[in-house]
Parts: sequence; C-alpha cells; structure tokens
Amino acid sequence: MAKDQNYTADQHQMQYKSGMTRRDSLKLMMALAASTLLPAVLAGCDSAPVSTTDAGADAAKATTEHWPELKLAPITAPGYGKDPNLILPPESPWPLTLTQAQLTLVAVLSDILLPREGSVPSASEVHVPAVVDEWVSAPYERQQQDRLTILSALTWIDDEAQMRFSKTFVALTKTQQKAIMDDIAFDTAETPVQFKRIATAFGRFRSLVLAAFFCTPEGTKDIGYVGNVPIGGDYPGPTKEAYAHLDKVLADLGLTEYAYPIEAG
Amino acid sequence: MNNFDFEVLVVGSGAGGSMAAYELTKAGHKVLMLEAGRDYDPKTETPMFKRNGEAPLMGAGNSDKDFGFYDATVDGGWQVPNEPYTAADGSEFLWWRARMLGGRTNHWGRYSLRFSEHDFKGKSRDGLGADWPFDYDDIAPWYDKTEALVGVCGTNTGLDDMPPSSDGILQPPPKPRITELLIAAAAKKLGIPVAPMHRAVLTRPLDNRAACFYATPCGHGCSIGAAFQTTTSLIPMAKATGNLQVITDAMVKSVDTDENGKVTGVSYVDKKTSTVHQLQAKVVILAASACESARLLLNSKSARFPNGLANSSGQVGKNLMDSTGANIGAMVPALQGRPIYNEDGHTANHLFIPWWGHKAQERKELDFPRGYHFEIGGRFNEPSSGIAGNVQGYGADLKRQVKQNYGAYIGFALRGEMVPNEHCYMDIDPEVKDKWGIPVARFHWKWSEHELKQVEHGLKTAKAIFAQMGADVGELPTPEQAILKGGEIIHEVGTTRMGASPQDSVTNQWGQSWDCPNLFVMDGGVFASNPHKNCTLTIMTLAMRNSSWLSSQLKQGAI
Repeated sequence: MAKDQNYTADQHQMQYKSGMTRRDSLKLMMALAASTLLPAVLAGCDSAPVSTTDAGADAAKATTEHWPELKLAPITAPGYGKDPNLILPPESPWPLTLTQAQLTLVAVLSDILLPREGSVPSASEVHVPAVVDEWVSAPYERQQQDRLTILSALTWIDDEAQMRFSKTFVALTKTQQKAIMDDIAFDTAETPVQFKRIATAFGRFRSLVLAAFFCTPEGTKDIGYVGNVPIGGDYPGPTKEAYAHLDKVLADLGLTEYAYPIEAG
Repeated sequence: MNNFDFEVLVVGSGAGGSMAAYELTKAGHKVLMLEAGRDYDPKTETPMFKRNGEAPLMGAGNSDKDFGFYDATVDGGWQVPNEPYTAADGSEFLWWRARMLGGRTNHWGRYSLRFSEHDFKGKSRDGLGADWPFDYDDIAPWYDKTEALVGVCGTNTGLDDMPPSSDGILQPPPKPRITELLIAAAAKKLGIPVAPMHRAVLTRPLDNRAACFYATPCGHGCSIGAAFQTTTSLIPMAKATGNLQVITDAMVKSVDTDENGKVTGVSYVDKKTSTVHQLQAKVVILAASACESARLLLNSKSARFPNGLANSSGQVGKNLMDSTGANIGAMVPALQGRPIYNEDGHTANHLFIPWWGHKAQERKELDFPRGYHFEIGGRFNEPSSGIAGNVQGYGADLKRQVKQNYGAYIGFALRGEMVPNEHCYMDIDPEVKDKWGIPVARFHWKWSEHELKQVEHGLKTAKAIFAQMGADVGELPTPEQAILKGGEIIHEVGTTRMGASPQDSVTNQWGQSWDCPNLFVMDGGVFASNPHKNCTLTIMTLAMRNSSWLSSQLKQGAI
C-alpha cells in the first residue's frame, strides 16, 4: 500500500496528499470548504465540459444526459505475481495513476460519503483515496473495468459541476455539492433517466470507498468486527444477548418450535 | 539422491501422495516423493492474522491470486505460469492447481464427510455411472483411522447420509452461530435436517498440532497445524521416520517401462535447471491429482502402450467428474442490526444441510438421481472489498445502512453429485505443450439433465428455506444460468477410475493398475463416482488403505 507516498504539492495548498496526517487532512477540508477555484485538469480525459449557462447559483439546473467517453490507455504494469510475499505484502505493487486533481476530488467525494462522526475519522483521514488510487491503477481485469467506471464518474461529476455552476466540483459550496449528490447518489427505479448511468457508476465508486474505509483499523472498529483474535479453549459461541435476539426472531417468524437444540452452558 | 535407496516413488505431495508416504514410511519402506512445485514452510510463510486492509486491493482476488491475496496457493490457481491447459471447442472447464509442497491441502476447505453406502453403489441403485469395487463396510475402519490421524471435528448425527464414526474418533464440533441456528429452524419446518459439519480442524490438540484458536481464515493456511494440511502433519511425520526424502521443483513428464511392460521409474524435469533426470523405482505411485496423473499416463506412450500407460481399457482421462455448484443468497431483514459477537469460529460452516432425499429417491419421487448438500454461510466477517452491499445515498445514513446489513446476509452454496457422461473427459492436446515440452491436458465438458434438474431442485429448496426466514431471493435463475462451470468446485476426479474389471476400469480396488502391477494411483483419479461430500477425506482414506495393502504385498514379495 502506498499510504506514505506524498504527492508533489504545487502552488495549490488545497490538495489531497496521500499519507497526510489527520490534522493536515482537516486543514485540507477547511481549505476546500472555503475555496473558490481548483484546477480541473483530469488526465486521460478527452472530453471538454459543455458550455454552461450563468454560473454561481446554488439551485440545481436541469442538465440533459451526458457522458465522458474516456479513452484510457491500458495499464501495462505487471501484477504482484503468483507467489508474492504474504507476510510482508508489497508496499507499492504498481505505479499509481490518479492525478492530483483526481485525488483531491476523490478525497472530497469520499468525505461526503463518509464524513467524520464524533471520534470516528472521515474517509480521507484514513487514506481511503490512496486505496482508491491503488485499486484503479491495478493491472487486473476487474480493476481496469472499475478504472473506466470510476474515472468516467469523476469526469462526469466535474462536467456536471461546470454545467450547473461553472466550477469544478471541489470548488462548489457544500449546498451545490449536495445538489449534485442528491441527483446521483440514489440508484433506484425513480432515478431520472439522465442520472441513471452516473448513479450506477457512482455506486461502484461508493462501494469501493466503503470497502476501503471499513478495511482500515478505524473502520473495522467502527463496524464492530471483533474477530481475528485467538481464543483459548472452546469457541464460546453466541452471547446471551445474541441468543435472546434469535429467540425473538424465531418467534416473529413462527419458527420457535423448530429451534435447533442448543447445549446448556 | 545421496545413495538414498528407496523402494517406492510417490509423485505428488498433496492429500493422496502424503498419506501414501506416511503409511509406507511408518511401515518401514523407503519412499522418495517428487513435487512439481516449490518447497513450502507453513511455519514461516502463513499469513496468520493478517488483515485484508494490509494487503494490496484489500486482499481481493485476481488473476494472480484467484482466491485472494492471502490464499495459501503458491504459483497456481486457475492458471499455472507456463503450464497451460486447453478446452475443446464448445467446452469450458476450470482446473485449479498448486505448485507447492503439500499441494492443494494447504488451502482446501477442510470439509471432511464420509461417503455412505449409497455412494459406493450408485449404479446398483439407479443404473447410472459405475459402482465402486468394495462396500462401505470395507472402508469404514479406514475412515476411522484416517479421521483419527487427520483430526476431524463433528458429531455422529444418525442421518442416513452421514455414516457414524466409531466412538472417540471425532473431536467435538464448535457451537453453531446465530445465522446457522436460524437456517436450521427454517429448514426443519420444511422437514430438512441441519447438522454439524465435519471438518479437518482440530478442536483438541493432536500430535504436534495445536487446537484451533478460532481466528484467521483457514484458506491462508494454518501455521499451528489446527487446520489439516500435509505440510504440518503427514510430511513431517513421514520425514521423522527417516524413510522419506522429498525433491521439490520436480515435474514428472513420463512413467518409464521396460520391454516387458514393467514400470521401471519416472523421468522428471528439474525446474530449477530445466534438465531431465531418470529415477528407477520398484513401485511408482501417482498422486499428482486426478487430471495430472491421467495426463502423465496418457503422455507415457511406448510401442507396448501406444494409447498411454495403464490404458488398455481406454478409460484413462474418461469419466471426469466435478461436483455441481450453485450459489444463492439474500439479505435476511430479521437479522439486520442483530447483536454483534465474535462469529469467526473455525472460519467455515459449523452447521450445514446434508442430503436428506435418499428415501425420496428410493421412492422415485425426485426427477434427478443423485444428492447434494448445502454449505451455509453468513456471519460477522472481517471487512473485505465486498462489504458495501446494496446501499444508497451518502453521509451518516449511508454508514448506518452498511452497519444495519452487517451480518444479515446469508448465502447457500450447493454441492451436488454429478453422474459421469461421455461428454466429460480429458485427453492430450495434439498441439500445445507446456514450458517443459510436455503435451498439455485438453478438457471436454457438458453437464447433463441429471445435474441441471438437481440444481433446479436445489434452487427451489433454497428459496423456500429463505422464505421461512422472511427473506426473498428474488426470481430464480435457470439451472443453466446457475450451475457453475466444470472444475470450478475443484472436486475433479474419476480419470483413472477403479473397478472390478480391467475392461472398464484403470485400477483395481487397491489403486493398482490392471496393466502394470507395480504402478498405483492414489489420488482422486481412482474415484468410480463423485459423491457430493467433498473428495479429500476419501482420497486420504483410500491412500491409507491402499498403501497398507501395497506394504503387505511388498513384504510378501508379491510385487
């Protein structure tokens, strides 16, 4: 994992840095919230945003269906092979490919999906964008499919921001960002036709962000997983609370009389 | 070979080969074992306790590591570098291989169910496939010995599909999990039993192996020896006798014979130097895996054996069988938000659904001849790349959905018996060779109505059980859509089947080839049928029984 890799910081201080400390990350978020403009250079994107109408309004403007037809060069780096060291996994198994602007957009979107909640850190605070970068930069088939899906979604989101508000997504106000999110973050039967494709693509991105978050020690603790610790003696089985819940479930489903016998103790 | 004067040469270090080596070395025979893969040390190489988040891609599988980064398989999976296999036009078949000491035992599921009397006499019952050349009672004592040596946890259930072990053989099973208890109640309401799984995982210490401590997935391998693999048990135990030597990176390319047709030894490629070596042996045991052993025989042609060695019956490579497989699952709303506890257990099924339909099949009530079981899953797993599930939105509500669904998903995996058919076999590809110049296996595959009807029954049954749990699996796929690919369950067997007659089988009941008395097969190739109950326990049991017989023959001077 490339968690400690730092990206070259140029004139813009408002950039996601992979491996940044929690405090750096908070500074970034404050800066982003106050920002007015960030570069919208997306590598590999051969589409240009469609011209927009008057900019600046918070109200969502109806956009018609659009899609960036990205032509991405295939990832040609080798994988980690069929006999990698499992005890000390490769730190950086292949070159990372997201641009600074893409990483910053990923950081902003990740934190909209998973903001800090009390003592539980946000997605970017636990370096979710670095995991996304590693994933979309990987040479394997599934990840290359996700690469096209996710880079297309990132481009679409900035295109949409430009069309509606004449700014990149990260430069929008929270209200403006929320307006776009509300249109694309729900992939249901009611999703308007012009948002169908982005909603599906954004769903893939969301799944990746959720996985990356919950696979961190902080995320694993947050979801409540308590396994992978050695137990002396026999497996203790469910807790009293868990059995009590099962009893209620069985009763609700009319299954109490068919309950599997549980040994006392 | 440092003048190591061995009597028996074993090809392969997996379940069959290691058990053969163990049994023979304990009986005082010198054994040389050849393994096509590299040496492997579970003590230092097993990623115990490693978290998904520490691995590239959160441990997710890919073409380098099909079952995930931490899967114990070395240099293998669905493809082995530089060692291809092919499929005939219109056929699709997947062949899992490992290239490591211990072979596939380092990562297997460890499910260890005995075959029952029904399983050995399928043809007598329904006219399909082939009977085995012995009865359940002949092998039952050997199941006891194998279970005691391997260490199997479970209970005697009294169910007709689960013949009992002798008293004191099985180790106690772990307590069921909440999800399994819910499934058990739902199934019971439909008259379907649920029982403790039998698994080759120690719940009590055995020899130098520790009992399970209920953490870290068995598929990573098990450095403490609780989950059975030959590299922590049979191989070191055989080595301790002083009678075993092992050569790794040794890819056998042919079994060699003299002008009388007697097996004289093998030729192998030393992969490190790409040089070919010949070894002489009094007895050769093939345990390279069903299809690798059959490939070896078919590639061992001579003037006397123009169709390959031990193939006067024409059955080598034929009768290829896998288990049927299909997956079905759903979110169970009643389990959403349930109290969290440590559900790792021994990291696989504590309970499962054994086949319950023998009586119905006797009464001709079912439209498919052979049974299946369900492996049942659903627990508070360590988060992985697939944890998100079907969720919507963003922010606090998004995270609430993921937490609500955590531990509420249940999946069933069907594993069923297929009947051998003329369309399922392997032969040698006339064009393609591997890196070592050895012609490769070519697969031919087609499921029959027997398997499709069985899968259809399984899907409907699963849907009904889920409905009892208040869960909807949605519209069922057709069996053609649902059935997994040939080979995908990694239970491929039958390519050198045993039988009662040299006309229609490759070996006798001892795994001794009919054509060459000093050539034995001790892997899954000898299976006359492929019961739904996972093949490894029976591979090991046959290897123990047949090596014991071989030892007696050697001591009598009969071979």
